[in-house]
Amino acid sequence: MEIAYYPGCSLHASTAFYDVQCRDVLGRLGFDLKEIGDWNCCGATSAAKTNDFLAVALPARNLGIADASGYAEMMIPCASCYSRTLLAQKTLEGDKDLRDRINAELSEKVQGKIKLLSILDVLVRKAKSGEIADRAEKKLAGLKPACYYGCLQTRYPMDVEIGDSVENPQGMEMVCGALGAEAIEWGYKTDCCGASASVNDNDLSVRLMSNIMKDAVVRGANCFVTTCPMCQLNLDAYEQKIGERYGISERLPVYFITELIGISMGIGAAELQIDRHFVESIELLKGLNLI
Amino acid sequence: MSSQTLTVETEAAGSLAGEVAARSGQNLNACYQCRRCAAGCPVGDDTGVTPDRLIRMLILGEKEEAMNNLLVWKCVACYTCGTRCPNNIHTARITEALKHMIKEQHLEPMVPKVANFHSAFLTSTSHFGRVNEMEFMGIYEMKNAKNELTKGGGVKAIVDEIKAQMGLGKAMMKLKRIHFSIDRIKGMSEVKRLFSKARK
Repeated sequence: MEIAYYPGCSLHASTAFYDVQCRDVLGRLGFDLKEIGDWNCCGATSAAKTNDFLAVALPARNLGIADASGYAEMMIPCASCYSRTLLAQKTLEGDKDLRDRINAELSEKVQGKIKLLSILDVLVRKAKSGEIADRAEKKLAGLKPACYYGCLQTRYPMDVEIGDSVENPQGMEMVCGALGAEAIEWGYKTDCCGASASVNDNDLSVRLMSNIMKDAVVRGANCFVTTCPMCQLNLDAYEQKIGERYGISERLPVYFITELIGISMGIGAAELQIDRHFVESIELLKGLNLI
Repeated sequence: MSSQTLTVETEAAGSLAGEVAARSGQNLNACYQCRRCAAGCPVGDDTGVTPDRLIRMLILGEKEEAMNNLLVWKCVACYTCGTRCPNNIHTARITEALKHMIKEQHLEPMVPKVANFHSAFLTSTSHFGRVNEMEFMGIYEMKNAKNELTKGGGVKAIVDEIKAQMGLGKAMMKLKRIHFSIDRIKGMSEVKRLFSKARK
């Protein structure tokens, strides 16, 4: 099934391995990801914090391209890109004047047709249909992930229907269950890692992540699993610092959900580029005889 | 109990609250100070001011306090306050609106690095249509250096900051998590038009 795909800037740079994994794993689940042409940056939180017009106009250009592509649905793996693009679409649905002002500058106009999907929307669909379990050649026995959603997978600053609980989502747990992994119960699954504060307010971000880290360790997780490139980069890159500053000796790999599905499908660690993590992430999988 | 009388400049209060409500799309008057937002705010310990306090300042017309507090700058836009608010008030939208107002009025941001970060991010986007992490971080550090030289911690603060970021940069390079090529989109003229419309 062909589906439009918006990777966003992170998946072309700091988490390029997530892009590789998305294409491979979703391909094996029957999705042919068609990257939309000449997309631009969604503006992320920076546009929202700087200029209301740009916060809508930047993702709107991508929506126009996606609408013109003719596909019915577009998958956006990055939680921030997904959130900003969805908010732009909702805003333009209810604001014809703004839509006209933006469309006046676009060669491909926003029509409001394309249905946006997060990576969890897609994966939960495949978990419910049984296809993820069917494709899981290796059951991930012994893997105890703390499913980490972060902020933007469930919370939006306007009314948005989400197919999961805002406070205690279960989508990732469902996918992990289909893989034979035993997701732990914990209290920080939707807490904030600080996002860009890791760069511009590092002490704050490290403190927020220390709470997340402590709870995951205390509850017996042996890794994190996430869908958000910002959460992955932050937790992975700063785990050493968090551990040193807050006295946590454990180091937990921070996997993308696509890495776990890929491993269970029998895709090699090298193909999935699991060596791109800051925290050593291969040994745990080897120790459990998963690779 | 203090016997201080609460004085409210009603006209000023109305115009400040009105402007913020209009810009943020949030109904400030719906706040009944239940403080569920405060309980959930992850940065409240650092900022002192929690979302309920900020809304109160705005309603009372305390412009100086509302425009000069750490919540405006340290809000991580996690949207916890808004999803827990029984009256659906999203304070993250309010802190966004206040940042825009501070910028338009050429006031000093309380945490310059945060303002520099978001401005550098958009500048990089306006150059290529996509964010180039190397360029973006370069612009960001130049802005920070300028701040430190004019009113901050001087050369030492600049060196410490750059050292910290270089450490991360080097580690990212080793892990092949930095890309050096420049992705310039073909539709730059459209993106530039959107940027110029945004300035109007």
